[in-house]
Amino acid sequence: MIEVSEIRKTFGSVKAVDGINFHVKKGEIYGLLGPNGAGKTTTISMISGLLKPDSGSITVAGIDIGGKSGQIRKRLGVIPQEIALYDELSGRENLHFWGSLYGLSGKKLREAADRMLELVNLTERANDNVRDYSGGMKRRVNLCAGLIHDPDLILLDEPTLGIDPQARASILKIIRDEATSGKTVIYTTHYLEEAENLCDRIAIIDRGTIHAEGTLRELTELAGEEDVVTLTGNFKSGVTKEILSGLRIDHLEDGMVRFYVSERETIGMVLNKFFNSGVSIENVSIKEPSLESVFLRITGYELRD
Amino acid sequence: MKNPIAIFLMMLVPLIMTLLVGLVFGGQSEQKLPVIKVLFVDNDGGIISGFLKNGMQQDTLAKMIDLKIVDADAGKKLMEDGKASALIEIPENFSRDFFDRKPVEIRLVKNPSETFLPVIVEEMVKTMVVLLDRAAFVFAGPLDMARVLFDSGRWPTGDEIKKILEDSKNGITLAGGYFSGSLITFKTETVSDPTDGKRDVEFNIFAFVIPGSMIFGLLFISEITLRDLVRERGAGTLQRILVAPLRGVHVVTGKVMVTFCITAVTCIIILVISAIGFGVNIGRPLPLIVHFIGVILMCTGLMSFFYGFINSERTADAVMSVVIIIMALFGGSLIPFEQLNDTLQAIGRFSPVYWAGDGFKQIFLMNAGLADIAMHLVIVYSIAVATLLPGGILLEKKLGRGD
Ligand SMILES: Nc1ncnc2c1ncn2[C@@H]1O[C@H](COP(=O)(O)OP(=O)(O)O)[C@@H](O)[C@H]1O
Ligand SMILES: [Mg+2]
Repeated sequence: MIEVSEIRKTFGSVKAVDGINFHVKKGEIYGLLGPNGAGKTTTISMISGLLKPDSGSITVAGIDIGGKSGQIRKRLGVIPQEIALYDELSGRENLHFWGSLYGLSGKKLREAADRMLELVNLTERANDNVRDYSGGMKRRVNLCAGLIHDPDLILLDEPTLGIDPQARASILKIIRDEATSGKTVIYTTHYLEEAENLCDRIAIIDRGTIHAEGTLRELTELAGEEDVVTLTGNFKSGVTKEILSGLRIDHLEDGMVRFYVSERETIGMVLNKFFNSGVSIENVSIKEPSLESVFLRITGYELRD
Repeated sequence: MKNPIAIFLMMLVPLIMTLLVGLVFGGQSEQKLPVIKVLFVDNDGGIISGFLKNGMQQDTLAKMIDLKIVDADAGKKLMEDGKASALIEIPENFSRDFFDRKPVEIRLVKNPSETFLPVIVEEMVKTMVVLLDRAAFVFAGPLDMARVLFDSGRWPTGDEIKKILEDSKNGITLAGGYFSGSLITFKTETVSDPTDGKRDVEFNIFAFVIPGSMIFGLLFISEITLRDLVRERGAGTLQRILVAPLRGVHVVTGKVMVTFCITAVTCIIILVISAIGFGVNIGRPLPLIVHFIGVILMCTGLMSFFYGFINSERTADAVMSVVIIIMALFGGSLIPFEQLNDTLQAIGRFSPVYWAGDGFKQIFLMNAGLADIAMHLVIVYSIAVATLLPGGILLEKKLGRGD
């Protein structure tokens, strides 16, 4: 359905997107997981045609979006990261306006808007100005505005940013349902759980490139069988290095160390060694292979909300 | 549009501004009017020419008129150099002929490069001529007395004046029915521009003030309407519009067209109010419409062009008002152009506002035809074309679209 190859975009000296490749099949939810500044929005903007890639190509349903993009735009639903609605209009008026841009009109438009409002439980507040909505309500209308014309390909850029768990669950369910009914979805997020729970395939994106890609299982297998252990205490890095010799250390500083173990017994041994050298350990955390540990291994840091 | 009330209020702003400026200038304070440079050639040197001369230097008029007494040659030279708005020439033996009730003629020479100031002088001299003329009948008896005094070459004594005044009471009754027929004729000409003398439009202070402030207002209206583009860009709604199946060109043309329409409607409202509310003669329809369209295109074009360089509402706030105010200041919107000094006027001729405003003034005050404002039209339409096209292209580029 969508084929992205070697796209690049530079802003001044910032390589926002530095050679990204992926493809998404029909009915699939493809996740772009990465921290702020990774290049997710830039990638989405290039697919939606808002930005022109410096190089590389993007095709949707076999049609290059660089050329005649009119017929593709009709089939495209874009939900921007920033809420893009008219504050001074009501939720319903907003949907009418955005729907009309896609050629909907009359009864068809009104029905589509009502259906969307029903879907996100906003029928009762539909005639209030968006200005008076809560963050979660605005997010829901923002979503509806991108879906009202029933697009085949849905681009969502962090659609759940900063909202309460209920509204988030409702949005995720809608996206799930869209995919089930055959829509193709590209979903960017910096929330690990969202990527884990929602996406069929996940790409880990950082500093403008995709570092790993696959289903949740494939990715966790990448992390191998190793657990990630993080210790904090009153130890010095020199001592620690000795104690941990032979183990793969991911991060080391005075008072904090993170390393990989393939067997649980190793952890006990390590703690014993620390104990014997008079070090007190304050905290031990063990992470089983998960998307989080994959992310950690690939990017070298933890992804926090 | 999204918010009709806001747009309506926006359109009221220049209107109110126009009215305020009009009231300030048109109210009691004549001293706000430009000072008019008038040359006075007195070939007569008699009582009547003295009366005219003094009349024009008396209190209220003195504030408006900078009267310079010159001889005929100097006057001619100054007029040809365009150093004054008008020249009044009193013929030889004017006073004597007047007392003899022979037909006399006052010559008024107008400066063709100026439009209204000479008209003001013309109106004034006309009024004085009418007064004199009537006086010639009313004071028929006493005038004879005055002539005696005049011939004797001395100023009248108190008693003689008293006598004249007493006689004049009879004179008024006597001359009651004589108000028609004129002894003093009045001849207007224009320096080296014979086509200009025939126009005869009543001078209206609003017609003088409204064009400048109207252009000022129209520029602001265009600016505010186009500002939506950067505002929507900041709000993200523009990007959302751009991912819809519309071409960037359509978005830009749409916005520019809306700007054109709103500016045009504002202009029409101002024109209607000027005509109905302030009795401004809005001139002949053809030149008015042609100039009107040019001016609206120009305002829309200028603002589109400027917005082609502006990325955020912040920049717009900082830059646009300043740009508009400078153009308006030199173009004569804030201070009547005629009142600017030579240097400022020279600069002002580079301001689009001057050509737009002055075009309307010519139409309102001089009943100008297309040919009379040909220069204005060429400039206004040239600016419109030169800014609309690049402005549109810049705006479209700015939308950051690849196609
Ligand atoms: N219009 C722009 N001008 C300059 N730099 C930009 C622009 N858009 C994005 N960037 C930079 O490109 C990088 C990627 O940004 P973005 O795609 O928004 O990341 P994400 O959406 O993953 O947070 C960041 O370093 C950001 O500062
Ligand atoms: Mg982003």
